[in-house]
Amino acid sequence: MSLLSVCASASKRLVTHALFVESAFTGYLRTASGAVKDKEPLRKAKTPQGRFDMNDEKTKDPLEKFPDDVNPATKEQGGPRGPEPTRYGDWERKGRCVDF
Amino acid sequence: MASISRVLTKRVLSSKALPVAAQCSSRSFHFSIYGKKDYAKVSDDISTQYPVVDHEFDAVVVGAGGAGLRAAFGLSEAGFNTACITKLFPTRSHTVAAQGGINAALGNMEGDDWRWHFYDTVKGSDWLGDQDAIHYMTEQAPAAVVELENFGMPFSRTEDGKIYQRAFGGQSLQFGKGGQAHRCCCVADRTGHSLLHTLYGRSLRYDTSYFVEYFALDLLMEDGECRGVIALCMEDGSIHRFRSKNTVIATGGYGRTYFSCTSAHTSTGDGNAMVTRAGLPCQDMEFVQFHPTGIYGAGCLITEGCRGEGGILINSEGERFMERYAPNAKDLASRDVVSRSMTIEIREGRGCGPEKDHVYLQLHHLPPQQLATRLPGISETAMIFAGVDVTKEPIPVLPTVHYNMGGVPTNYKGQVITHTEGEDKVVPGLYACGEAACASVHGANRLGANSLLDLVVFGRACALTIADTCTPGEKLSPLKPSAGEESVANLDKIRFANGNTRTSEIRLNMQRTMQNHAAVFRTGDVLKEGCDKMDAIYQTMEDIKTFDRGIVWNTDLVESLELQNLMLNAMQTIHSAEARRESRGAHSREDYKDRMDELDYARPLAGQERKPFEQHWRKHTMSSVDPKTGKVALEYRPVIDTSLDQEACSAIPPAIRSY
Repeated sequence: MSLLSVCASASKRLVTHALFVESAFTGYLRTASGAVKDKEPLRKAKTPQGRFDMNDEKTKDPLEKFPDDVNPATKEQGGPRGPEPTRYGDWERKGRCVDF
Repeated sequence: MASISRVLTKRVLSSKALPVAAQCSSRSFHFSIYGKKDYAKVSDDISTQYPVVDHEFDAVVVGAGGAGLRAAFGLSEAGFNTACITKLFPTRSHTVAAQGGINAALGNMEGDDWRWHFYDTVKGSDWLGDQDAIHYMTEQAPAAVVELENFGMPFSRTEDGKIYQRAFGGQSLQFGKGGQAHRCCCVADRTGHSLLHTLYGRSLRYDTSYFVEYFALDLLMEDGECRGVIALCMEDGSIHRFRSKNTVIATGGYGRTYFSCTSAHTSTGDGNAMVTRAGLPCQDMEFVQFHPTGIYGAGCLITEGCRGEGGILINSEGERFMERYAPNAKDLASRDVVSRSMTIEIREGRGCGPEKDHVYLQLHHLPPQQLATRLPGISETAMIFAGVDVTKEPIPVLPTVHYNMGGVPTNYKGQVITHTEGEDKVVPGLYACGEAACASVHGANRLGANSLLDLVVFGRACALTIADTCTPGEKLSPLKPSAGEESVANLDKIRFANGNTRTSEIRLNMQRTMQNHAAVFRTGDVLKEGCDKMDAIYQTMEDIKTFDRGIVWNTDLVESLELQNLMLNAMQTIHSAEARRESRGAHSREDYKDRMDELDYARPLAGQERKPFEQHWRKHTMSSVDPKTGKVALEYRPVIDTSLDQEACSAIPPAIRSY
């Protein structure tokens, strides 16, 4: 019971229109019971970025994935990304040689 | 709200999902599966200070890398009660870093035959490989790769769904005359990682008992037979004796004897040292594979493509020194020429850095766009491992150890052998596989993508041989109650050692000496000087000082034990190198630049007289060390020149190795 009253007061604070309140209230009830998926988009989809959070762009892999993971030149499926690792005679990946 | 949270927490506390350890004070880390037979008994036969637990198994595998896991579950599959002792969690073994591929003559890209793979491997080994073992490995290769794929290893595929094979590692068609062969199967760029995880996952289907984070100290030998292993449990400091009829050693290589190596810190040659302390010889320890450009400090290798794209090597004076050593090829000379030139520059005092022990690889004279397109990811690699911006500063590099061809000598079935009275004799109860073993498929030089194949084929071979010769549940031979006393005494001595030099200092001395004297540049005087220095460093082990006196997770103790193992490996490597007066494969000497075989294969053979066994060098070195004095004794064993079946595959007679 207390949960419902909390939700009702929260929804009342957010919107003022009566009809909208009712639909939102029923919407909340229905999501609380898990019967219907909420059609309204989330108001804050991503949590705010903190001071120490890294930007997503910085961690991009220099080697790009092939479309559908199929190498267009050799038609290899599930092979290594980027240029052919054995092109210099050893097994090269990101400038590191791992086998020769 | 508060009432809800109280209800929730009450439920969590009363659930049985919490580990036992959190609830009661007596902690038991090991799971005992209900109804499983475990004959573990506590005894105080060898020590009243250390609790000793005795176990009995049908087979014990030491090491859980690619070869160890394959042997362990092969044995469990055959019905043996198997224990796998490992000092690391299985998926943390160094196999995980092998990111190349596996060679197998599957014939998916073009017509292929395992006999051509056999020829390539024999030639790559510079005719020091035992041809019967190479025959076994290359013939079993397609079946082994298909078996791995059936276990679930996600190889990359062609459009038809067959395993995609690429060209790599000196493989050819038609016995060298048909051009490049495509034999290397891979899993994107993480073959070793995928192999290890596939094997580990597969091994969990069988009931192998894993003893993870147990450091194997010594073999328990009696009457020349191996009757088990004694190990230290790092978690609680108890000693465990594992009695078994069959012991398989799969402990990996010993890269950490050198200052610069690509191996993990745990590659300390424990198996080789255990075998040496048991009085058995190790084979071909002087053959160590180097790569010219490994990043200083980190040990990662920089690809030759950097030099291919225009990168140059410079010394402390800023001079492009390769012009002096290889006027035509300059920086694109072959790997051993480049390694030797770099080492000569460092020896003559023109090295860079505060210790003057490396050279620089310069790439900032190339346009950054070209670097980014031709070698994507290199700026990341240089920043992470060397801490330099590759577009502004050069990368510090030096020749780096990558693989050890030598190890415990075995025959093609995986049984450990000794060579007495001119014949190979099997040591009963002892087997070896993987990088720790030397069935001699790699001979004097390992070809790329052959080592992962070596792991799975010989891991399986050990399991098959044991299944052929023994039955599960056989009665064990008696073992003296005091077996393993010396290992515990040594452990106690190291734990309370109170000399003057720390473990890390002795280890650094050994690594620097090996890097300066037993690396790529080998001549008589340099090696002799190195041998004398190593003898002196071996004596300083008496003066070792450790700090941690505890017994629970004492890493100081374990590192000192590992240093003892490394020392034995290093002594054998440098003394064998000093004795071998020829250049063959990875062992090249400036004063003896040619291969010395029983016949001179560069000239027509008719009319030549065969040199006697003592005068030529196409033979395996068998080295043994007296652990108390550090004295190395060397013997020699002939190479096996016949294949397993002369009709199926004829052996390759020696010839000059040129590519």
